[in-house]
Amino acid sequence: MTEPLLALDAIDVRYGPTQVLWGVTLRVEPGEVVAVMGPNGSGKSTVLKAAMGLKGVSGGRVMFRGEDMTRRPATARPGAGMSIVLERRRLFPFMSVRENIELGAYARRLSRADLARSFDEVLALFPEIAGHLDATAARLSGGQQQMVAIARGLMGDPQLLLMDEPLLGLSPALQRHVIDLMGRINQRGVAILFNEQNAKLSFGLSHRGYLLESGRVVLEGSGVEMLDHPEVRRVYLGEEAA
Amino acid sequence: MTGTLLAESLINGLITGAIYALVGAGVALIYGTMRVLNFAHGEMMMLGAYFAWMGVAVAGLPVLLAFALALIGVMIVAAVIQRAVVAPVLAREDWSFRVIAATIGLSVALQSAAQLIWGEKFNALPYFLDGVVQIGPMRLPWQRAAIPIVAFVALGLSALLLYRSRFGQMIRATAQDAEAAQAVGIPAGLVHTAVFALSAGLAAIAAIMLAPIMSVNPWMGLPYILKAFAVVILGGLGNFGGAIAAGLLLGLVESFGVMVTSSEWRDVISYGLLIAIIWVRPYGLFGGREAA
Amino acid sequence: MRSVLGSRPWLTLALIALVLAAMPFVIDDNYLLHILILFLIFAVFATGWNLTLGILGQKTLGHHAFFAIGAYTTALLSGTVGLSPWLTLWLGVLAAALAGGLIGIPILRIRSMPHVAIVTLAFAEIVKLLLANWKDVTRGELGLWGIPPFPAIEIGGTTIRFGAGQIAGSFALALLAFVAVHALVLWLLRGRFGLTMVAIRDSQLAAESLSIDLTRSKLAAFALSAAIVGLSGGLYAHYLQILTPTSTAGPEMLVTLLAMIILGGVGTFFGPIFGALVLTALTEYLREYGDLRMLIYGATVTLFVILLPRGVAGLLTRRGRPAAAGDEPATAPET
Repeated sequence: MTEPLLALDAIDVRYGPTQVLWGVTLRVEPGEVVAVMGPNGSGKSTVLKAAMGLKGVSGGRVMFRGEDMTRRPATARPGAGMSIVLERRRLFPFMSVRENIELGAYARRLSRADLARSFDEVLALFPEIAGHLDATAARLSGGQQQMVAIARGLMGDPQLLLMDEPLLGLSPALQRHVIDLMGRINQRGVAILFNEQNAKLSFGLSHRGYLLESGRVVLEGSGVEMLDHPEVRRVYLGEEAA
Repeated sequence: MTGTLLAESLINGLITGAIYALVGAGVALIYGTMRVLNFAHGEMMMLGAYFAWMGVAVAGLPVLLAFALALIGVMIVAAVIQRAVVAPVLAREDWSFRVIAATIGLSVALQSAAQLIWGEKFNALPYFLDGVVQIGPMRLPWQRAAIPIVAFVALGLSALLLYRSRFGQMIRATAQDAEAAQAVGIPAGLVHTAVFALSAGLAAIAAIMLAPIMSVNPWMGLPYILKAFAVVILGGLGNFGGAIAAGLLLGLVESFGVMVTSSEWRDVISYGLLIAIIWVRPYGLFGGREAA
Repeated sequence: MRSVLGSRPWLTLALIALVLAAMPFVIDDNYLLHILILFLIFAVFATGWNLTLGILGQKTLGHHAFFAIGAYTTALLSGTVGLSPWLTLWLGVLAAALAGGLIGIPILRIRSMPHVAIVTLAFAEIVKLLLANWKDVTRGELGLWGIPPFPAIEIGGTTIRFGAGQIAGSFALALLAFVAVHALVLWLLRGRFGLTMVAIRDSQLAAESLSIDLTRSKLAAFALSAAIVGLSGGLYAHYLQILTPTSTAGPEMLVTLLAMIILGGVGTFFGPIFGALVLTALTEYLREYGDLRMLIYGATVTLFVILLPRGVAGLLTRRGRPAAAGDEPATAPET
């Protein structure tokens, strides 16, 4: 059996005196799309932040490509092949779109020429922002900002892309667009770990999925299994048990 | 009112304004990157002046070497303060007032420590620039004329660093969203420390330029910190360029204000202006809310 | 409210008052009683400031100006104009309250904490400069001395005298003011006023949506807070009978009081009283090392913020029950 790309091994996370994750175990295999689904406040964003090192863990281990990243800071991740698209875009608002995207490659320390090549490759996926490269990021529409945020994530040339609520607050048309992008990114061999509140979107899009409730993994399985699970159907899809 | 008097006020205003700009720009840079009002910034001036005085008057070092050492010394002190006091407070909830309180305490403790170490005596740094420059009808000692020149060179270099270098990009990214900066691999914590040191360096330059014409004493930073805050608010909290413009403006307003009243009312004019402007334009004269 | 007042606040206050009232009968040392008088006056100051700083959550840094306004108003009106200090004390309180309301108006427009801190600090600096520059009336930094004490009163054939040398009378008066102010504040905090204050501190938006009239509530809190601090200034003026602009409205006063409140616990009812006691006593104990005083105050503030941000009061409540996350005043959204 090959080594998983990312493995969270029974992690605990606290915010001050409040514990929000309890022994969460989760893995992402190379090239996989994995969903973390759960209601508001279940801790699904915290799972991603803990994987990225933006939130420290108080127990358990975070392994990435066989390497123990538990005690290493967030800044060690992008260079190792992990990027995150933060919730609600979180661009650098007063920088240009170009500067925002280029900063995504910060950790790779590329030469000018390599940076330009990488930039053009990534931008090819996002024709809609090509005309706005010199605009200040804050002036873009929400949908365009989401594209810039994803582009920034891809500039790290990740093997694993973490996406924190990538569909939140987008119109249905834009949601479809982002979903399509996720598919194309995955086709390039990039594994994706994302979270989402909607069960159909979560498990319909993913190879495997986890259901999180009150900071604990209560269910895991392939996307299809998850969609078919009576508990998911009853609670999250609003269907009466047959 | 004669032309000479006007010219004199203008030049005095520029000199004072240049100092305000140097100190205020540092406060703005720190606020812009970490939302911290550093009440101990005046003491970075004080330490800069003492270090320079020790190098020149006590150790007898060449002037430029003494100043370079003083600058480095202050930057190290500032970095230590950021690591030991500011960063731990920022890591907690409800930090925005606590960090103000912590730096107020630090400011007073540093003044008191300086008094214990160097005594209450007012020390003088000797003039290190000779000669007089003739500007129209005015004769101005180079020691004073150099202040705005040095200030603009230092601020110009800082602006270049901020807007034209990779390190400046790291600072701006951290200022605009520290978590997103970390997510792309920028060590935001180190950037914070560096910004603290850089800002303290600007304050130390101001103090070294001032020391020969004022005096070196434990409380010399006190009059400047509130002025720096006024400058930072007038320029739009955290706005580097705004602070420089507001610093010059405040220097000129004071200079001309003193011309029509008298020097003891100078600070009343500044603070009155500050409160009046906050009343009508809470986010500064230049309206910008852009960070760093 | 419990996190502010603790359990059984009336009982605690009564016990404190009783213990203090017994002091003149137990302690036969006028110097120690003098220190206790200063403690009582500063405790009133600290409680007054804590109303805006901790309970309303408005981070004002200029309350030493209200202290100076209260002190100078009553000192000048009684000493220079010749009115009775019993009357002018209240005129000083009124002047401080008006100043509090006045500085409250621009602050109400601002929700950004740094702006509030700087505006109030600039206001205090203006007051200090006015007192220092208005030499014809205040004698500037030379100081105002020979301020008349409160005139003696007669109760049941006993004459009670006040002022610098009159320890018994001064102690009784300071204790009376201490108890009255704390009883008033406690009574207000237990009622609608207190709930309003805490609601504003925890969330201005939520308070507004509860149809709390923010402007009136905040102005009232500002004026009350300033009035209490002004009262402490008046008591100080007529007790020590000497004032200078820097000793009343200077940065040392700011740091001294900030240290008391932070050591005791910002936003707790009894914390600042405790802080005032510890630091007043410590100051006097270290009198011969005068140069160390501000080093200690400054270091106290910084170390407590880093190591014990909820002050001694926070330490006590933590032992009693596990600190809930909700205890922490929620950081108001800042711009």
